[in-house]
Amino acid sequence: MPSTDTPLVRLRDVHLAFGATPVLKGIDLTVGKGQAVSIIGPSGSGKSTILRCLTGLLKPQRGELTVAGTAVHQLHGEAAHRPLRQRVGFVFQQYNLFPHLSVLDNLTVAPRKVLGLPAREAREQALALLAKVRMQHKAAAFPGELSGGQQQRVAIARALAMRPELILFDEVTSALDPEMVGEVLNVIGELTEEGMTCVLVTHEMRFAEGISDQVYFTEHGVIVEHGSAEQLFNHPGEARTQAFLQHALGQPGRRRIPDTYVLRNLSPYHLSV
Amino acid sequence: MNEALHALVQAVAGWGLDYRFLFDAYSRASLVDGALTTLALCLCAALGSLAVGLGLACALVSPRPVLAMPARAFVDVTRNTPTLVQLYCAFLVLNMLLTQAVGTGNPFTPFAWVVIVISLHKGAFHAEALRAGLQAVPATTLEAAGSLAFSAPQRFIYVQLPLALRFALPALVNNLIDLVKMTAIASAIAVNDVTYASIMIWTQSDNVIEMMVLLLAFYGALGLLVNAIGRWLEARLRMPGYGQ
Ligand SMILES: Nc1ncnc2c1ncn2[C@@H]1O[C@H](COP(=O)(O)OP(=O)(O)O)[C@@H](O)[C@H]1O
Ligand SMILES: [Mg+2]
Repeated sequence: MPSTDTPLVRLRDVHLAFGATPVLKGIDLTVGKGQAVSIIGPSGSGKSTILRCLTGLLKPQRGELTVAGTAVHQLHGEAAHRPLRQRVGFVFQQYNLFPHLSVLDNLTVAPRKVLGLPAREAREQALALLAKVRMQHKAAAFPGELSGGQQQRVAIARALAMRPELILFDEVTSALDPEMVGEVLNVIGELTEEGMTCVLVTHEMRFAEGISDQVYFTEHGVIVEHGSAEQLFNHPGEARTQAFLQHALGQPGRRRIPDTYVLRNLSPYHLSV
Repeated sequence: MNEALHALVQAVAGWGLDYRFLFDAYSRASLVDGALTTLALCLCAALGSLAVGLGLACALVSPRPVLAMPARAFVDVTRNTPTLVQLYCAFLVLNMLLTQAVGTGNPFTPFAWVVIVISLHKGAFHAEALRAGLQAVPATTLEAAGSLAFSAPQRFIYVQLPLALRFALPALVNNLIDLVKMTAIASAIAVNDVTYASIMIWTQSDNVIEMMVLLLAFYGALGLLVNAIGRWLEARLRMPGYGQ
């Protein structure tokens, strides 16, 4: 079990409002190195906003955020955030690949231009990462030629190409057809098993339960409850958590993870926790 | 070459068109010279207008009013006044003031004035096309570039501009075809372009119809060439599967 002694991410009493509308009302959250932490909660509860604060895309009005040793709340200006963003990967719901670049170039452009990797090294790394997400056969294709699940796997490989210490996933399977959800979750599951630190916003409850070291339940901009996956999913302490889980797990349409995924990857991992 | 020309001149003579002046060395030289000057004008003004357009477009989308507002004012004034009047204004007023100030050291030839005026005029049109292209790039795509730690200039060069160029390309090609035709205003200030050379020939030889046919064919061919280059670029820059 990864330790929380040296947290990679620490939020302390983070407050954020859009104009007069408070969206985050005192968020406390800790992610240890090597942990997978899931944030669940109803739509509009502030989950994406939390992730966007972590890389300084949004600025909280109050509170402290430390990410990979950087005091994010003390950074000012675009340029000051660049070292942080090099170390924190972000995978989006809508993939957001660069449509004018081939899959391979999507994976090499930032390592070359930002990290200064030589072209050959960037290319070799990209091919290795594409193999990892089982997309090596599409290296020459363009994003527009790929299915949603394929694009999302490329987007994960693109984030990995920056060699991040932490990856943030924001509802990365929500835009996918049900039959493609599994292939993307498999890739994320493998990453967490390899010890990559991940923060996931997800509606895939079974998946979150299977891979998470910690699960946070948010509603209306506050953390209602957090704990181990086992604790939060099986013995939620708050009535609101119970109601949400009943709703989320009770809908047949939400149980989109193929059983093969649960059997192949999650059960052994689950037992070892 | 010469034989083919002879045969051609003979053939159209049947339609009452007299192209025998083409065998006159002087007429032919001035026509070829004019055609080359027009080509040079097109090339210089095309590059100049694209550079101006890019600069103006960047200023137009800038969040800083000190950049955006003068650019907007320039684009609006330039787009809404006749190019020929702008050329007269530049050549007769600015050029005169410049000559008064620096004497014979004035570096601007009439050719240069035409290039400058057309570059600025067409640059204003390019700027609008590019602005639309820059703004059509989804914010989420730019955010993805930001989260890969691109600096603002890198994000512009590797992501926003390549996409904006693709969105704006059909409009830019349209503007460039128009630019080719616009170079004919050079004749108004006696730059020896193909139009001016033709006017010189028909005033002497009284062969307006023959010269008109030749002139229209020349501009038409140039326009088609620009169009073909545009099509080729569009095919090359196509993003497979995008927007489907
Ligand atoms: N840029 C913005 N301007 C104003 N309100 C916003 C903005 N982004 C998000 N919000 C609001 O903040 C709340 C939380 O949004 P978000 O973090 O995206 O929720 P979640 O990801 O949990 O669905 C929502 O009510 C949303 O409407
Ligand atoms: Mg969200």
